[in-house]
Amino acid sequence: MLLYGLDFLVFVGIFGIVALSLNLEFGFAGIANFGKVAFFLIGAYTYALLSKIGIPFFLCLIAGALTSALFGLLISLPALRLRTDYLAIAILAFGEILRLIVKSESWIAGGDWGISVAPAISTAGASHHVGILVNIGLVYFCLLICFVIAQLLANSPYGRVVRAIREDEIAAEALGKDRAKYKAQILMIGSAMVGVAGGLYAEYLRYVLPSMFMPMITFTVWIMVLLGGPGNNWGALLGAGLVEFFKYGTNLAKDYLNLPVDPINLQYILFGVLIILVLFYQPQGLLKESPIKTKALELARYGKGVVNNKPGK
Amino acid sequence: MAVNWAQVLFNSAVTGSIYLLGAVGLSITYGLSGFPNFAHAELITLGAFIGYFVAEQLGLGLPAALIVAFLVTGGVGFLCYRGIFQPLAKRGATIIHLMVASIALGFILRHSIGAVWSWKPLYFTTAWSAFDVGPVRVTGLWLWLIFVAVTLAFIMHLILTRTKIGKAIRATSSNPELALASGINIDRVIWITWFVGGGLAAIAGIFRASDTQIWPMTGWDIILPIFAVVILGGIGNYYGAVVAAFVIGLAENVGVVVLVALGLSSTYRIGIAFVILIITLIVKPQGLAMLFRRA
Repeated sequence: MLLYGLDFLVFVGIFGIVALSLNLEFGFAGIANFGKVAFFLIGAYTYALLSKIGIPFFLCLIAGALTSALFGLLISLPALRLRTDYLAIAILAFGEILRLIVKSESWIAGGDWGISVAPAISTAGASHHVGILVNIGLVYFCLLICFVIAQLLANSPYGRVVRAIREDEIAAEALGKDRAKYKAQILMIGSAMVGVAGGLYAEYLRYVLPSMFMPMITFTVWIMVLLGGPGNNWGALLGAGLVEFFKYGTNLAKDYLNLPVDPINLQYILFGVLIILVLFYQPQGLLKESPIKTKALELARYGKGVVNNKPGK
Repeated sequence: MAVNWAQVLFNSAVTGSIYLLGAVGLSITYGLSGFPNFAHAELITLGAFIGYFVAEQLGLGLPAALIVAFLVTGGVGFLCYRGIFQPLAKRGATIIHLMVASIALGFILRHSIGAVWSWKPLYFTTAWSAFDVGPVRVTGLWLWLIFVAVTLAFIMHLILTRTKIGKAIRATSSNPELALASGINIDRVIWITWFVGGGLAAIAGIFRASDTQIWPMTGWDIILPIFAVVILGGIGNYYGAVVAAFVIGLAENVGVVVLVALGLSSTYRIGIAFVILIITLIVKPQGLAMLFRRA
């Protein structure tokens, strides 16, 4: 049971990173990235292949982030000039093709059978719990870095430009902001984060298989962001926590309840129903988009001293 | 190795027929409702399973399966739009929200199918004898498929050009405001296209499943080439979709010959559709529609 809880924490951490990156792309920049799993896969496979030839784990993670960012940039070159729906179709298709390639080219990483991955920090001899605790430390360290980056981006002048582009592309372009450039950068940063998450995923599970990277992953992350509240980094984390909790809850329930329906099917049916309900009744998610915090805004609102600026004086 | 080009051409017609039936509904609903319905894949799957239920579990044969699956899946397509997408759009959902909702709906349908019929691949048991016509090996199923696809394509053409409802569909897709102002009930037009689109998807599903296997991913397996057909044909353009279906069918079958000649895995055939999809999106997003401007 304790093991189960620790396992849950690792998954919340890993998917928290993925949710943060999708939140950057969709929540702040309005990019409909329906191929998150592609970049997750790139990070995981880069990690697996590099760690196999004996490169230390942190370099593997960084390499995963860079490779993933590179692919994000490559796909953004043609894709970001496309309409929202075209981009969604193209990037979804990209993910499917990528999975097909690692599946049929067995020289890359074992094809259908995948390859195993060595643990980042060897805890041989210690109990299984220690191994997971080490992973929790690693995952939450990465999550913290990603969260700080995401928060800084969201509240910086850069983040305000990105939000402006989301709200009105033409107005932003009229102010001289190159929307394709900003979106490409956001897609790169987002992909780098997912790349790290993918590396952590491979490292924690100790293997990579093509069947780990189904479109379902993308969809689950979308639920996290939409449920938590797009445009709010805390919301992305909350969403990741809730969705993983729900997943683990139904997996636990499977062991205790005698359901007539296969719990995996039930889980995804409920996910689908949940997302449609959210879209109907709470499209802004549980947490509202965080207001922009800047010095200038405070100054404009309260003046230099609050006293001088009270209404009526 | 000598390539039997007559066989390649015939296979292209078979592939193209399935893509045609699968893509027409997606294209027209995409054009009229303004978003790609990713759950269209699951309408194909659902149709295949209903066909399987009627033909195999009830033992009523293929023609009955086609008719029942058409009606039931068409009804489901209509209900999806009426119950989910239309109210969402009325609440001001963005195109991203509608796309996410369609993916969610796809998961509901796919896993409901998985819960009812299980995830184990099933097979239609009807044995279709193969025979040779000149240098080409054909089966009765493939001939049926081409016959049904061509007949339905022709009927659709007649409906679109000769009947009042067909003209209303074309009017709505080219200019919804003007159609509304001319007294066309746009809502009803869109409902009918969702019904017909779902029905055609079901027929595509039955043929695809009879030819290969049937499982909850039957539709998802071919959603990529179907999107390629929709984009290449021009969104919402019926004649574009007809031509594009056979173009993609041909490209895939010729592509497999090339792949084999290059010593690559033929599982990349789906990659051919992907390449066409991407190139069309970048070079000419309106697709073949410019060939049929008046249609």
